[in-house]
Amino acid sequence: MLKRLLAPLLTLLLLAGVGAAIYVSVTEQAGNTAVDSSSTLHEIKGVIGSEKEEFFRDPQTIAALAKINLKVTVEKSGSREIANIPNLAKQYDFAFPAGVSAAEKIKRDQNIKKSVQPFFTPMVIASWKPIAEILMANNIVKKRGDAYYIVDMTALFDLIIKEKRWTDLKANDSYPANKSILVGTTNVRTSNSAAMYLALASYILNNNAIVQNEAQIAPIADKLASLFSRQGFAENSTEIPFQDYLTMGMGKSPLVMIYEAQFLREVAKTKNSAIRPDMVLLYPEPTLFTKHVFIPFNADAEKLADALMNDETLQQIAVQHGLRTANAGALAKTTSFVAPPELVNVIDAPSYEMLEAMINQVSTAK
Amino acid sequence: MKLLRTLLLTGCFGLLIVLAACDNNATDEKTTASDNSAVLKVIAGSELKDIEPMLETIKQKTGVQLQIEYIGTLDGAEKITAQQEPFDSAWFSHAKYLSLLQADKKLIQAQDKIGISPVIPAVKESLAKKWGWTNNPNITWTDIAAKVKAGELKYAMTDPTASNSGFSTVMSVQAAFANKGDAITAQDVDAEKLKSFFSGHTLTAGSSGFLSDSFLRDQIKLDGIFNYESELLKLNRNPALTEKLVLLYPKEGTVTADYPFILLNKDKAADYQKVVDYLKSVEFQTWMMTNTDRRPVNADVALGTQFPKGYLMDLPFPNNIATVNEILFAYLNDRRKPSHSFFVLDLSGSMEGDRIDALKQAMNNLTGDDATITGQFARFRNREKVTLITFNNSVIETREFDIDKNGAALQDIKQYVTSMQVGGGTAIFTALQTAYQQARVAKKSDPNRFYSIVLMTDGLNQDGIKYEDFNAFYVKESDYVAGIRTFPILFGDANPDEMQNLANLTGGKMFDSRKSSLAQAFKQIRGYQ
Repeated sequence: MLKRLLAPLLTLLLLAGVGAAIYVSVTEQAGNTAVDSSSTLHEIKGVIGSEKEEFFRDPQTIAALAKINLKVTVEKSGSREIANIPNLAKQYDFAFPAGVSAAEKIKRDQNIKKSVQPFFTPMVIASWKPIAEILMANNIVKKRGDAYYIVDMTALFDLIIKEKRWTDLKANDSYPANKSILVGTTNVRTSNSAAMYLALASYILNNNAIVQNEAQIAPIADKLASLFSRQGFAENSTEIPFQDYLTMGMGKSPLVMIYEAQFLREVAKTKNSAIRPDMVLLYPEPTLFTKHVFIPFNADAEKLADALMNDETLQQIAVQHGLRTANAGALAKTTSFVAPPELVNVIDAPSYEMLEAMINQVSTAK
Repeated sequence: MKLLRTLLLTGCFGLLIVLAACDNNATDEKTTASDNSAVLKVIAGSELKDIEPMLETIKQKTGVQLQIEYIGTLDGAEKITAQQEPFDSAWFSHAKYLSLLQADKKLIQAQDKIGISPVIPAVKESLAKKWGWTNNPNITWTDIAAKVKAGELKYAMTDPTASNSGFSTVMSVQAAFANKGDAITAQDVDAEKLKSFFSGHTLTAGSSGFLSDSFLRDQIKLDGIFNYESELLKLNRNPALTEKLVLLYPKEGTVTADYPFILLNKDKAADYQKVVDYLKSVEFQTWMMTNTDRRPVNADVALGTQFPKGYLMDLPFPNNIATVNEILFAYLNDRRKPSHSFFVLDLSGSMEGDRIDALKQAMNNLTGDDATITGQFARFRNREKVTLITFNNSVIETREFDIDKNGAALQDIKQYVTSMQVGGGTAIFTALQTAYQQARVAKKSDPNRFYSIVLMTDGLNQDGIKYEDFNAFYVKESDYVAGIRTFPILFGDANPDEMQNLANLTGGKMFDSRKSSLAQAFKQIRGYQ
């Protein structure tokens, strides 16, 4: 009864601004910090690549941002789709896509000069010890410093383009699969990690040079397309093939293209980590980084840009999420897995236009 | 203003509680949930009914009640893509078909895989021993095909357009025979090779659970079965099974069900996450492995001893919906063992009006009126024989149609159905007995078909022989009519007990069209023909 009487009254009060007050209160609770109620939290809203959602949802992140009077809400989108959102800079205070190519396009369209790159993550191939050993015996993979595996991408692409099968490899008793050797990726039309794989492949097939014009695409287009079409069914988001890798094992996923951050985040989990001792990462050589580019559209968002670059707490949280940070270059510290502190032979991604042109060719090919 | 704000801030905890209470109250009225739990409307594959004992626990642990509507995988994918009903979540044995079907619609907001079960072959222990297949890691799909071709392996499999275990088997066979090592197309495989493989298909069904039950009933005539590993493990524990089954893991690989729990409604992301966290917890995963024989996805749950050690080899799956549908249509029209389907149709006086209209629509859907993909799968197939037996006081007429590639017979059926007139009494069992007599003759001259009878009546038996007479006839003739199953459709004022008895007697299944529609019942039965 009382509820019914209260309801209209509450509605009125809400219209009078209670909503904001409650919002503040909830944020304080979530952050579990005592914020002086006289200072105001600046609310800013951004659109981000989905892989950073967990970072922004982390209560530690919310608390650290509250300390500098920021309350950040995020909506996730495919990084390559952000550039196509209408009225982007009017709808949001910032964009935070993965991938320099996507960022470049947003900056140009919105006529924005400033951007920062607080986090990055190398592209890696998630694999298995028995697979790594087979590839070592075939001179595709080598172990560096007894700690981590390097995969020679030129040699690997050579096998893939020649349509070799696992059974064609020597010293292969542990994976007698009649399947073609392929790196599993997501759908190249929808997912950045697959686009990064495409970028890497195009560099190698284009005689170790970044593709710079359409004329360079034509001779390699069919080969590029086959890297994806021959895989068969591909998922739309990078989380799914990584889940498959974790749960279905080697029979489904001998080689999967992922972000290093996905693996490190799973390693860093204190409970329910799905990482098992026979899981390994192969670091491509050459490799490329997915850089997370923060593009502020106004002054409040610039404050966030500054914090992401310089706030030590935020950087540590990012590291817990498996990301590498621009300044510290710190890595998640774990006993079970050693990630290489520095990677050599890192190539740049092609321009947005070239990448889109290749994606179009690859995804329309049968 | 500042005063007001301070006042409100201090009081806001109390306000929040009231607000929350109001909110829950609203939820109650909409969903009839009897308590404070949130509700997720879930569309799920029928094989997930075995999770039901845990629904109450899920609600207690997460505060989220799952309201589940069960449906077949392909039907479900089509329903979700049509976006006419507001489902919050979906839960199927796999999301590949949905993922390909949604194209650019982005209906899947998130998905988390909950359990694993490969779809695999199993053969009777004595045969496995004889063929050296026990504990043999080198068995291939080609070995299995050779036994089928030699006539030594008659097997049970579900219809690939109605049930995921049949679907996965067809995709596995297609990929394994293509021997390509990567993505397949419909043309990669020699049609004769597939035809030969499917010639061993002896028992069919529209669902994996029903297939297991029917296998038990007909086990003496069968050598093997394709089903989920989980269903096969369950079957092996069934005391009614006379000979244990040896589960086979072909070397080329299989297609594996991974049971993704899918978020469709973005606004329910928080509730979805709570449920997923629980479904992936050690507690639920252990329960699932122990009670449903699906493998856990949580690495902290040790794999049970019922599962063989080692990894599951996965076969590639097509990368576009056109290829998948092409493979399915080729299966239905050219490669599967053809059917001879009898339809015993009640044209008594009580069918007047809406009822006869509904029957005509249901039949015409099977001749091409239903243009949806699953409607096309349900159509009468190339090479199929269709016999329509109409009745009132007695049998009115028997008409047989041979479905051909050019579709002329479909037009004939349509014309015939459109001209049907109602009137007179109801001689259900006389008509059914006539159907069995005709099916018996047909089966003798053409044994290489699936025979089945659909019985549609809207009332009680008033004329001709009684149920008891039919029962006696069936028992007496059982050597000749066994394997010809009757699928009664409950419609109008039909007698549910009698119809259920009839299904039990013949190994068929009753479909209650009063819960859905006559058209829906006919469409579902197609999965059993």
